[in-house]
Amino acid sequence: MSAWKQRARARRTGEIVTAVLIAIVALFPILWGLSTSLKPADRILEYPPEFIPSTPTLEHYFFLVETGIWLPILNSLIVSAFSVGLSLVLGTLAGYALARFDFKGKGATMILIVAVMSIPLPSLTVPTFILLALIGLNDSLFGLIVLYTAYQLPITVWILYGYFRTLPRELESAAMIDGYSRLDVLRKIVVPLSGPGLIASGLFVLTFAWNDFVVAVAMVSSAENRTLPLAIYNYLGFFGREWGPLTASAMVATVPVIVIFVFFQRYFLSGMTGGSVKG
Amino acid sequence: MQSGATLRPRRQAADRPTSFTIRNTTEITMARTKQRDWQPYGFVLPLLALEIAFVVIPLCLGFYYSLHRADYFQVTEFRGLGNYLRILESPMVLNSLWTTAVFSVFALFFTFVLGFALALHLEKDSRLNVYLRAIVLVPYVIAMLVGSLLLKWIFTQDSGLLHMVLGPLGLGQATILADPQAAMGALVFNAVWRDSAFAMILLLAGLKSIDPQLYAAARVDGAGPLMRFRTLTLPLMRIPILITTIRLLIHFVNVLTFSLILTGGGPNEATQTIGLTMYRIGFIDFRIGQASAMSILVFLFNMALIVALLRLFRTKQEAV
Repeated sequence: MSAWKQRARARRTGEIVTAVLIAIVALFPILWGLSTSLKPADRILEYPPEFIPSTPTLEHYFFLVETGIWLPILNSLIVSAFSVGLSLVLGTLAGYALARFDFKGKGATMILIVAVMSIPLPSLTVPTFILLALIGLNDSLFGLIVLYTAYQLPITVWILYGYFRTLPRELESAAMIDGYSRLDVLRKIVVPLSGPGLIASGLFVLTFAWNDFVVAVAMVSSAENRTLPLAIYNYLGFFGREWGPLTASAMVATVPVIVIFVFFQRYFLSGMTGGSVKG
Repeated sequence: MQSGATLRPRRQAADRPTSFTIRNTTEITMARTKQRDWQPYGFVLPLLALEIAFVVIPLCLGFYYSLHRADYFQVTEFRGLGNYLRILESPMVLNSLWTTAVFSVFALFFTFVLGFALALHLEKDSRLNVYLRAIVLVPYVIAMLVGSLLLKWIFTQDSGLLHMVLGPLGLGQATILADPQAAMGALVFNAVWRDSAFAMILLLAGLKSIDPQLYAAARVDGAGPLMRFRTLTLPLMRIPILITTIRLLIHFVNVLTFSLILTGGGPNEATQTIGLTMYRIGFIDFRIGQASAMSILVFLFNMALIVALLRLFRTKQEAV
């Protein structure tokens, strides 16, 4: 019996050791960056390295504020907010139509959605820049919003389509007998019932817009239109080896994402596997 | 199955008014079909308009530009397939094809294996596993740029952590990002570090959809864990495995951020992948014609993979 107990304990220990190892590999670079960002400039390169800074300081963060990081943060917030709003409104319309109507071209629409979801963005940047330059939307926040919406609308539609199909139709037909139009039904009945689907797709667009670098670096050139990832990229060229401000700016971009992720984890997962949100 | 079963009676209910006076019903059904005709299109229109305007039209424009000489966006002369030839003869492009192939193969292999291992290891919904899944996903949900930047800080030559730790061990010349092979290793590490969790999630969804009774039955028949994995898990996971592989491959072939941030394509173009080459030709040299030609070639390659992916989705849906 004690041998059995010992084996169980050994197994439990092994499990925990593996878990710790996995967690370290996944999180270490981020924690190390956080640690660096809190060290005074003259101790960053100190040997032996300190993992928990003994003299923590916010000087790098203050430095970022002085150099005007608030503008890229504001730009990122604006772009993210409008992209989420647009994607949700247009995605609700299209997702609802796909979930409730049979119409000619529905299959083709679905294929277009999945195809656009799969097209990798780096391969689109050159042609897209040509278009934006022709219609004068390059180097503007509005251009970014439109692009982000176009790129994230398919996944939004896909998630919402899956969600709407799980809603009972009875309520909707009852409301239509009472004289509601389709749009009324959508606004007053479907949307209020679709919280989880809307949150899942909204978060997807939000993290995409907040994190995007590939599209922005191609489309935006002037300093006043930089989003946060672009500002960080610019710091990388500008500060070169000053890892204090660099890691601090990385943390500014990362911490909000991690907080949101921790609170809304299950919604992320549903989006990644491409559908089926469980409410 | 289920949706079909619930659909039928409702349709009949909607059709029931046919038993009333004939004039009325034709009016009603006409009004209804008219509404049905235009309404879904109105709802889908913004989606279609945006995708056509910002995905389809750019590709067409790109094709037009790829046939012309277009430096700094000025279309000057018709080149026919000249840009394509120039691209395929350029040593930089050919080198980046090779680099991309090496990177994709190694990144795909390690990401897939680690992702599958994680999926199997964390399959049970114990509290520890749920937390671990979330932790593993963190490198995936943060910005790609930030992840590569933080790894660069660890790998960097003059002051990075790895250098500090390895230095006293007599490995002082451990200049990871300055050595072609080590830099490629760092690039692959970046990909594995970020994307294993993505593979894990896709494969986990596949594992969850396998009926646990099958495993129970196999166990009763005396199949050990390895046997169960080979004869049950692998065959039943065929489609999720293929979907994961293709999605990872599309991502790795095209990705730009890893090499742009972590290695800058160096040393000596040893880690310059196609994505980065395209970015260089287009946005640094402004040879838009050639960059477009390259975009079109890469797009065709991607389309082949995407078509395969669509087929797999369809078989998956039919299976369910």
